[in-house]
Amino acid sequence: MIHNSTDVIIKTVARIFIPFIQLYALYVIMHGHYSPGGGFQGGVILGASLILLLITHGERVAMQRISENWITILFSLGVLIYAGIGTLCLFFGGNFLDYGVLAPLLHVSPAAARSLGILGVEIGVGIAVMSVMVSIFYNIARSGPYRNKGTTARRES
Amino acid sequence: MEITLLVQATDECFSVIEKARRHAIDVLNTATLLTSETRSVEERKLQALLKGAVQARASSQQFLSTFLILMAFWCLLSGKFDIFHLSLGCICSLVIAYLSHDLLFANVRVGDARLIIQRFIAYMPWHLYQIAISNVHVAKLVLSPRMPIEPNVFRFKTKLESDMSWMALATSITLTPGTITIDIEDSGEFVVHALDKKLAADLNAGEMEDKIAHIFMESDHIYIQDALDMARVFGAMK
Amino acid sequence: MIDFLYGIGFGLCFLVLVVLYRGIFGPGVYNRIAAVSAVGTKTLIILLIMGFIYNRVDMFIDISMVYALLNFVGTLAAAKYLEMEK
Repeated sequence: MIHNSTDVIIKTVARIFIPFIQLYALYVIMHGHYSPGGGFQGGVILGASLILLLITHGERVAMQRISENWITILFSLGVLIYAGIGTLCLFFGGNFLDYGVLAPLLHVSPAAARSLGILGVEIGVGIAVMSVMVSIFYNIARSGPYRNKGTTARRES
Repeated sequence: MEITLLVQATDECFSVIEKARRHAIDVLNTATLLTSETRSVEERKLQALLKGAVQARASSQQFLSTFLILMAFWCLLSGKFDIFHLSLGCICSLVIAYLSHDLLFANVRVGDARLIIQRFIAYMPWHLYQIAISNVHVAKLVLSPRMPIEPNVFRFKTKLESDMSWMALATSITLTPGTITIDIEDSGEFVVHALDKKLAADLNAGEMEDKIAHIFMESDHIYIQDALDMARVFGAMK
Repeated sequence: MIDFLYGIGFGLCFLVLVVLYRGIFGPGVYNRIAAVSAVGTKTLIILLIMGFIYNRVDMFIDISMVYALLNFVGTLAAAKYLEMEK
């Protein structure tokens, strides 16, 4: 159980930075085909922003914002988007994740269809990675060293 | 005998009348209480409605300003201004502004945001100069073979009020070499570690705190900078 | 210009080694956390210098921002863990 921090500096800095971090994560996801990064990295940054909210503002605020049920729905949704786009390509007669064949569906040239397909797959991967990271952290936070004291907690002095 | 009966009867009559009067008063009292209660409930409902409207307006303002700031940040990051990327940025900024519009403007004091930004930009060169001065001082301290350092922890109570200005002061102290903010207590007491008596004395003089208070328009001091600004305004009026 | 950048980069690498001593042998956890954080800031600047050397600053600036962010969150999480244990 992570309690609300009493430190003013950390709370204020986190409060101001979190929207920018989230927007940066989305930028990394959306520009995955121009610059380094992509779905996985952007998802990790998005998860890190939620983890920052959790460790600064406490577990209750973070759970209010995005509950565990929503996390479960989101990581199923991310995998669904990824696998759905892949399988859609199979239906149009290509290989798995062969976006070029989606061109008649999207009414664009095959190259643009590839670009859009990669974008969709990266959004799916990003959502899945973010929700899995946050889900792992929720689980760790709820059964931390306070629950079973003395098993994992040891401080070197 | 008859007289006593008569007296008893009149007594009973009076008591009955008294009872009836009390009952009537009770009824009237409860009636007034009920009406006043319903009125206060209605008033409370109206107040809640007004408050809700004000809050909704404030939150929609927050949403809009967060969206604009995030959109500017997106343009800064992306550097691509074709319609596809701009619409992507628009969608992303909307999503983030919906998710966390209450974080960026959690407890804002009354104040002109543009003036705060102007004053903050004007504060930066002074702070850089301060960093350079204490950098040279700390380098002298550390590189001299005797190492004449006297590390000490001291506390001072600040006159600043909002958490933003506390954070600005704490980060300014930490950015200056040789001094580190360890903690801010709830009463607004700063715990600062300083490497030297001179650095601590510089901080205790309170010039930095005055400047921060001037940026965020806090405390009841009259500043030289304010007087200068006003002088310009009066000059324009003449 | 390239020589200048190489010089700064190698100087920062040397400083990383100096700080790494504190990170490995430092007495106590808090010294180690501070050392790791300092190494993170120096790595950030080294990444930017690499970007200037390879003429791909726009790419490396993204990487260094992510590095700074994860460094911040990691330091904060470690500090929070130690605070909880108290």
